[in-house]
Amino acid sequence: MSVAELKERHMAATETVNALRERLKQKRLLLLDTDGSISSSFFAFSGFSLKLDLSWELRSMNLAVATYARSQGKTPLTFGPTDLVCCRNLQGHTGKVYSLDWTAEKNRIVSASQDGRLIVWNALTSQKTHAIKLPCAWVMTCAFSPSGLSVACGGLDSVCSIFNLNSPTDKDGNSPVARMLSGHKGYVSSCQYVPDEDTHLITSSGDQTCVLWDITTGLRTSVFGGEFQSGHTADVLSVSINGSNSRMFVSGSGDTTARLWDTRVASRAVRTFHGHEGDVNSVKFFPDGNRFGTGSNDGTCRLFDIRTGHQLQVYQQHHGDNDAPHVTSIAFSISGRLLFAGYSNGDCYVWDTLLAKMVLDLGSLHNSHGGRISCLGLSSDGSALCTGSWDTTLKIWAFGGYRRVI
Amino acid sequence: MPSGRANVGDGGVQYSFAMEYHGPPITRHLPRAVPINVDRIPVAAVVSQGSLSDKLALPVVQPILASDITKNFSKELGLGSECLVSPKSVISFERQIGDDDSVSKELLLGLGTETTVSPNSGPSNHDCRLSGELSCSGTLEINPDGRYGSGDFSDVINSSTELGASTTSHDLSKELLAGVGSSGTLGFSDSFDKSRDLSGSPSEFGVSNACKESLDINDLSQPDWASTESILSFDYPSSRVSSLQVGDCISEPACDERRNLVVTFRDIESEDGDLTEELNGAEPEITGLKKEFEVRAKKGTCYRCFKGNRFTEKEVCIVCDAKYCSNCVLRAMGSMPEGRKCVACIGSPIDESKRGNLGKCSRMLKRLLNDLEVRHIMKAEKFCSMNQLPSEYVCVNGKPLCHEELHLLQSCPNPPKKLKPGNYWYDKVSGLWGKEGEKPSKIISPHLYVGDPIKADASNGNTQVFINGREITKVELRMLQLAGVQCAGNPHFWVNEDGSYQEEGQKNTKGYIWGKAGTKLVCAVLSLPVPSKSTYSCGEQVNNVVSRPLPDYLEQRTLQKLLLIGLSGSGTSTMFKQAKILYKDVPFTEDERENIKLLIQGNVYGYLGILLEGRERFEDESLNERRNYNCSRSPGQTGHADENDEKTIYSICPRLKAFSDWLLKIMVSGTLEAVFPAATREYAPLVEELWDDAAIQATYDRRKELEMLPNIASYFLERAVDILRPDYIPSNVDILYAEGITSSNGLACVDFTFPQPASDDVDSADQHDSLLRFQLIRVQARGFGENCKWLEMFEDVRIVIFSVSLSDYDQFAVDGDGTLENKMMLSRKFFESIVTHPTYDQLDFLLVLNKFDLFEEKIEQVPLTQCEWFDDFHPLMSRHRSSNSNSNSINNSPSLSQLAFHYIAVKFKRLFSSLTARKLYVSLVKGLEPGSVDEALKYAREILKWDEEGANFSLSEYSMYSTEASSFSH
Repeated sequence: MSVAELKERHMAATETVNALRERLKQKRLLLLDTDGSISSSFFAFSGFSLKLDLSWELRSMNLAVATYARSQGKTPLTFGPTDLVCCRNLQGHTGKVYSLDWTAEKNRIVSASQDGRLIVWNALTSQKTHAIKLPCAWVMTCAFSPSGLSVACGGLDSVCSIFNLNSPTDKDGNSPVARMLSGHKGYVSSCQYVPDEDTHLITSSGDQTCVLWDITTGLRTSVFGGEFQSGHTADVLSVSINGSNSRMFVSGSGDTTARLWDTRVASRAVRTFHGHEGDVNSVKFFPDGNRFGTGSNDGTCRLFDIRTGHQLQVYQQHHGDNDAPHVTSIAFSISGRLLFAGYSNGDCYVWDTLLAKMVLDLGSLHNSHGGRISCLGLSSDGSALCTGSWDTTLKIWAFGGYRRVI
Repeated sequence: MPSGRANVGDGGVQYSFAMEYHGPPITRHLPRAVPINVDRIPVAAVVSQGSLSDKLALPVVQPILASDITKNFSKELGLGSECLVSPKSVISFERQIGDDDSVSKELLLGLGTETTVSPNSGPSNHDCRLSGELSCSGTLEINPDGRYGSGDFSDVINSSTELGASTTSHDLSKELLAGVGSSGTLGFSDSFDKSRDLSGSPSEFGVSNACKESLDINDLSQPDWASTESILSFDYPSSRVSSLQVGDCISEPACDERRNLVVTFRDIESEDGDLTEELNGAEPEITGLKKEFEVRAKKGTCYRCFKGNRFTEKEVCIVCDAKYCSNCVLRAMGSMPEGRKCVACIGSPIDESKRGNLGKCSRMLKRLLNDLEVRHIMKAEKFCSMNQLPSEYVCVNGKPLCHEELHLLQSCPNPPKKLKPGNYWYDKVSGLWGKEGEKPSKIISPHLYVGDPIKADASNGNTQVFINGREITKVELRMLQLAGVQCAGNPHFWVNEDGSYQEEGQKNTKGYIWGKAGTKLVCAVLSLPVPSKSTYSCGEQVNNVVSRPLPDYLEQRTLQKLLLIGLSGSGTSTMFKQAKILYKDVPFTEDERENIKLLIQGNVYGYLGILLEGRERFEDESLNERRNYNCSRSPGQTGHADENDEKTIYSICPRLKAFSDWLLKIMVSGTLEAVFPAATREYAPLVEELWDDAAIQATYDRRKELEMLPNIASYFLERAVDILRPDYIPSNVDILYAEGITSSNGLACVDFTFPQPASDDVDSADQHDSLLRFQLIRVQARGFGENCKWLEMFEDVRIVIFSVSLSDYDQFAVDGDGTLENKMMLSRKFFESIVTHPTYDQLDFLLVLNKFDLFEEKIEQVPLTQCEWFDDFHPLMSRHRSSNSNSNSINNSPSLSQLAFHYIAVKFKRLFSSLTARKLYVSLVKGLEPGSVDEALKYAREILKWDEEGANFSLSEYSMYSTEASSFSH
């Protein structure tokens, strides 16, 4: 078989796959759609595998969810600038803050910054309880273990390091590295502990894989993606583990897709979610575990359903020009009604997830961050939001006034 | 009001009296009694918005003004009941407020509005609702004119500062409260900016900070608090003990309030914090710039661990005077970027009384840190901009200096020693310098343009004799008389910096004051200054602003980061290793070498595997050839030929064949790393035999046909037998040649300094440079393109060293989309994406054209035009080829490789300047030659130096290559 012939076949196969994908998309749309059903079925019946105009598609989608919500008597949240108020300003880093994580119960925060330090804060008193100097200053992510006894971090050194918070420090005040999880061939972009297990951790990496680690042995339990598997085709930038079913996790990648994985089946992704037009910088499971949100370089956040594979909602602020600010990080409120999204221009929007309405911009408040919001996270009880920024500070925002925590 | 009073009176010290509130109609007066609910006592809790808190438990401090106010309350109200130091004092305190006049009512109201949302854990839900409604109306009122109110407030503060430094807090708080009352509200939700403005004064900042800290600690003293948040008390067991001794009437309610706030995370804390901040703000404004730690429970203990006594050695924070024992100092002060300051104090100006200690290291620090670190910290302490004397504190001839003037004063050749804040007079003509109202203390450099012209009464003299317009003191007059200067008739003198003096209105110099040896003695006796020797020479140049050296603290970025980047295979790893070997005393530790050894041995097995694979291929090929040959010659005898001529020169004996098959199997399964080099000991003899085998040698001779085999493999394969011995220790050269030593890690960095050059050619600049530390960061470029998220992390590098392998021009690699592309083009693509990356907008780039040694060989065989980017390379040199090869002198006629190098350099330069309109620096490197890498890195250093020396000379003259490509054009 000649090369040309092979190429031809490959082309044909790709065409078929694309056409099938389109048809699948339409089918899904059809099932989901209530408003645009006529036009949708028209396309389906006529058998065209036309690529639907994306904006139309999005509009119809949004209309579907939003209209349904309205028909159920849902009104947009009213959310004033005093409803979410900055009540703590955590200063102490001297470099850009890249990542933060809350403990499960004790209201502590770990943050990672370009100054090469992890700082553990008491969010209530805004005191620092630990400052850990890292062997490699280029840290990108950090995570608290579920028990709150150790923290993990990873960065450009391609190693995920675990630090024990109770271990004695040496004479320089440095904590020793309790465990090095090495094996990634690219930077470690994100890490998260498996809920309720201090011994397992999932990392995502610039080598296009995600890895489930056994911390006690320091070995890889399974590798998701990679060369011979149907994994991501670009750097994996973010992971989020399902809170209600910790076997499932979702990863977002520079290949503009998000993938759903089952930790028992490393060989292939359970599902691939298309839709974004830029790197998926952040993924986060919805509190109920059946949906997840994504934030992307294309300036949008999206909500996907893991059971149907549908894209449920798009959260997009229309900017006049093309260069919409990137979404750097997202988080859901405890009920899921609110989606917090940090943007590269320092904005931090609060979205009504149901109606895709922006209800508040934390970046417009008078005490907001002076730089890009690089990370954000909600405390486990949902009462406070912490944002980390390139202006080297972290801020804690709490529901103010007499607003109920939602 | 009366009802509230009655209730309170009845309630006494019991909590339960609040239950009597069932059902009465809501009035505005009621809420004053409400806050008795212990969970919701709305006393200002201090959570400053911008407080620099830290992980340390800072010592216990009294909220200064807050307590003053309370005292005033009790005084003004004249209530018989004193505040009790007990949990119940909450109530008595509240009662006082409840009885108070409108001022405290407003205060309470303002606070009360904020407290309403907490989960109602209190005993009376009814009350809560009441206050909730109240708060609603409260906020409505407050928000619109909150800003106005706070404006008034700060005005009051300012006016009270004008009253004088010693205003008693009694008066002040009256003022304050009156001010508050007049504005009508205490809604600070809008006054945030104002409070920020106020907190611009660092001293105040510190106090509020300290207050907060004390409250934090006081929290712990509350038993119920400790139980709800047990982790906290667990963290700070010792603070709990100490704070018990401190608690007084005000801190108790305050901490109750805090607990409430802390738990629910509402915004009140910040608002209340601001309020207190503002309240507190007034006090420090008046007392001046002292930021200090107040009372501590026990004197002399460490401020962090509360251990030790006054005799234990301690280090003092130069801002807040906190003292830390040797165990805590490093934790409390961190890396000390501005010298010995607590982490919270970083960024604050120092306590002026400690200025004298700047840069003077204690023994303790020397013991804790190594020499270099101590030197570094002390230098930072002395020279960092934050620690410099605030210029406005120095007044010369009645005018506060601006920053430039102060700097001029301090950087002159003969500066006033130990300049402290204060008022000075300065005689610009003679250089005489002294404290205002005193005799001269020193003669500094004259003609500095600092301050106003000198005043006649600057030194408060009464002799009627004037020098340069200043009436001199008696002591000076005495000196003049002893020096033989005629002072009869109250003359006015002009004295120059060299001591020559003239009478006013006359031209001729009458003599030199300090000319005689005796005068100096007299001056010494009268403790008057004499000019120092250097004063004569300096004169005019001092004012030349351009020649002024840069302030030292601007050069504090001593760690210069160099980012080394390039495609895989461009030799970045080699350069990195080379730098390590060049500049490090111990480039690789024992452990590293052990790892490297295993790696090299693994690599060698890999190479062998490739060879064996090649051998099989060659064997098959030659067999096929022979068969074909046989077929074509005698089709009838194929069977016979097969049996006889099965052996070719590529065939090996069965035992080796088995080993070979096994090795290949392992390679295919991808577990080579796992099996080898652990099995080295076992297989080393076999490898020796294999290597000596003729078949392998024959294959090795054809290694050019094996694409998989890297160039470097031959270096190792030829020494395979040595390397695979168990006792093999890799040499530096081996390490240099070895692949994959640094690439397994995404990032590697090495700190180094350029070694001191030989002593004969040291000039001062070089000496200074040798102190500069450099950090070479080498990043493996994986997943490049627009998705290089990590590039943003290197925004603080000073220069990007971009490495391109020259020999790549005829090689191909798979790019991102899976298509095969020329590696030079890939490099170019990568170069473009890096250069145009916004992070590196204004950065210098040094292009390293690497692997010139390989290039030299290759260019003779493969034309450069192989790469489409270089298709217009037509060197004008073919005629001289013969002579060229003999004499390699570049000046006469450069070799083809030299020309090609220049051509490529120009290509890149043009590309660079078209993308950025800046200049690209290019360096030629043979990665395997230490001198070459050394040169390139030193070139990078030079570029940085040019950068620092400023834009006032043209860089273009210094670049090695011109942009014109005249020599290559056809």
